[in-house]
Amino acid sequence: MRDRVRTWPGTVALLSGPVLWLVLFLIVPLFIVAGYSIGALSLFPTDTGPSLYDWRRFLTGSSVYMSLFWKSVQMSLVVSVIVVLLAYPVGYYLALVARRRKYVLLLLIIAPFLTSYLLRVLAWRVILGAEGVINTLLSSVGLRDEGDPVNWLIYSRFTVVLVLVYVWVPFVALPIFVTLENLEASILEAGADLGGPRWSIFWRVTLPLSLPGVGAAFVFVFIPTIGEFVTPSLVGGTSGLMYGNAISELFLKSLDWQTGSVLALFLVGVVAILMTISARFAQIKAVESP
Amino acid sequence: MDAAASTWGRRGLATFYGLLAAFLYVPIVVLMIFSFNDSVLVAFPLSGFTTRWYRQLLENEQLLTALRSSFVIAAVSSVLAVVLGVLASYAVVRRRFVAKGAVTALLLSPLVLPYLVFGITLLILFRAVDSFLIPRVGIYFGLGTHAIVIGHAVVSLPYTILTVVPRLERLSTDVEEAARDLGASPRSSFRRVTLPLLAPAVLSAYLIAFTLSFDEYAIASFIAGDVTTYPLYLYGQVRIRIGLPQMIAISVIVLVLSLLVVVLVEVYRRRAERRLDVGLPSG
Repeated sequence: MRDRVRTWPGTVALLSGPVLWLVLFLIVPLFIVAGYSIGALSLFPTDTGPSLYDWRRFLTGSSVYMSLFWKSVQMSLVVSVIVVLLAYPVGYYLALVARRRKYVLLLLIIAPFLTSYLLRVLAWRVILGAEGVINTLLSSVGLRDEGDPVNWLIYSRFTVVLVLVYVWVPFVALPIFVTLENLEASILEAGADLGGPRWSIFWRVTLPLSLPGVGAAFVFVFIPTIGEFVTPSLVGGTSGLMYGNAISELFLKSLDWQTGSVLALFLVGVVAILMTISARFAQIKAVESP
Repeated sequence: MDAAASTWGRRGLATFYGLLAAFLYVPIVVLMIFSFNDSVLVAFPLSGFTTRWYRQLLENEQLLTALRSSFVIAAVSSVLAVVLGVLASYAVVRRRFVAKGAVTALLLSPLVLPYLVFGITLLILFRAVDSFLIPRVGIYFGLGTHAIVIGHAVVSLPYTILTVVPRLERLSTDVEEAARDLGASPRSSFRRVTLPLLAPAVLSAYLIAFTLSFDEYAIASFIAGDVTTYPLYLYGQVRIRIGLPQMIAISVIVLVLSLLVVVLVEVYRRRAERRLDVGLPSG
C-alpha cells in the first residue's frame, strides 16, 4: 500500500461536491415536500395548518386518485411485459447468435433512445391521428371512407401503451444483451455436451441465468412509465390519462399543491419499495450463481 | 452443434430483429418524408416536394430563442454534471471509504426518481426558498434558466458516472504510480496522466449529458418560469395544427444531428481508447 497521506485529492474533497449537490437538490427537497404534504410548512397564504387530511383522503380511496393509480400500474405492467418480450429475442440474437457486427446492430437498436423523446411521441401522433398518416392512407387507397377514421388509433389506452413500448424497447435491449453476453458460452456448450436439446438448454440454463438482468430491465421500464405524463397527454386523450397527469394538473392547473405532494410522495414510496425488492432479488441470484 | 440456436432459429431471430428495427425506424422515416411535404396538413396523399418548412425555421424568432436557451442550459448543466461525475467516479473507483454502498446508491438515485416527481420537488424547494428569503433579505431566487440548470445537472450526474467509472476501472493505477515515482506530484500525475487517459470517456459523458438536457421536458415544465426551452416550445406547437410541419422539420434536424453525434462519439471513443491503451498495462 502506498503512503495514504500523499493521496491527492482527498476522498472528502472528491466526494463533497457531488454528495452536497444531491443532498441539497434531491434529498432535502423530498423532505420539504413531505413536510408540505402534512401541512407542516406553508407556501401560500391559503395553506391550512398541519393536518393529515390529504393523506387520509388519498389512502382511503375517497378521491379519484387511488383508482387512477391502479389503472396506471396496470398500464405500466402491460408496457413493461411487452417491452421485455420484444427486447429479449433481440438481446438473445445479438449476444449469442449474431457473431460479427453485433455491436453495430446493437447500436442501431439503441440509437433511437438517445434521440428526442418528444419527437418520437410526436411521430406517432402524426401517424395515428384522425387525419394522420394511417387514416388518410386507408381512405386514399379506398379501404375506408373519408370522414370515417379508425378512432381507437389515437387518444386511447392502446395508443399510450403502443407509444410507451416504442419509446422504451431500445433502452431495455441493452441490459438484456449485457446479461446474455456475460453468460459464458461454455455453460451453454456444457449443456449441449450433456446432450440436452436446444430448447431444454434454453429453459434450464440460459433463461434462469438471465432472469436477474430481465428483472432489472423490467423495473427500469416500470418505474419511469408509472410516473409518465407526457405521452398520455399527447396521445392518450381522456381515456389514456395516467396517474402522472393527475399530479401535473394538481400543480399546474388546479394549483392544489398539497394533494399533488401527497400523490408524488406516494409514487416515491412505491419506487423505493420496488427498488428494495429488486435489489434483494438480484443479490439472491448473485449468491446462487457460481 | 451450435447450442444457442438451430439454423431455423437463427433465421427466425434475424427476421425478428429486422422487424423490430423496422418498427423503431419507420416512424422516424415517415417524419422525414413529411418534413419535405408541400402541405400544411400532415396527411396522405403527399402533395409535392418543398423545403419551405426548413426555410421558415430560420425566421421563426420564438423557436430560435427557445433553441438558444436550451443550448445554454445544456452546455452549462453538462459541464457541472461532468465535473461532479468525474470527482465522484474517481472516489468510487480509487478510494475506500465508509458507507460506500450508501454513497454510491445516492449518486445513482436520480436514475430511479421519476422526472415528474423530481420536477415538482424542485418547484416546491425554490418556492420554499423564496418564501423564506423574500421577507427576510429581499432576495428572489425564482424559477428559470438557473433552476433548470440545477435540475438537469442532478439527473445527468448518474449518467456521467456510469460512463466514466468503467473507463477508470480499466485504467491501471500503475501509470499514476509510475508518474509519481518519476517525481510528479500527486496533483500533476492526476492532471497530466489520469485525465488525458480519461478524455474520451469524459467527452462521451459530456455529450450524453448535453443531449439529455437539450431534450428534457418533464422537469423543465415545472421550473422554467417564463423561460421557454426547445422541448417546451415544441410541446406547445405540436398541439396547433398550423405549427406542425415546421416542428416536424426542426425535429428532423435535431434528430439527425443527435444520431450523428451518438454514432461518431461511440466510434471515436472506441478508437481513442484503443489507441491510448497501446503499451499500457491493463488494470
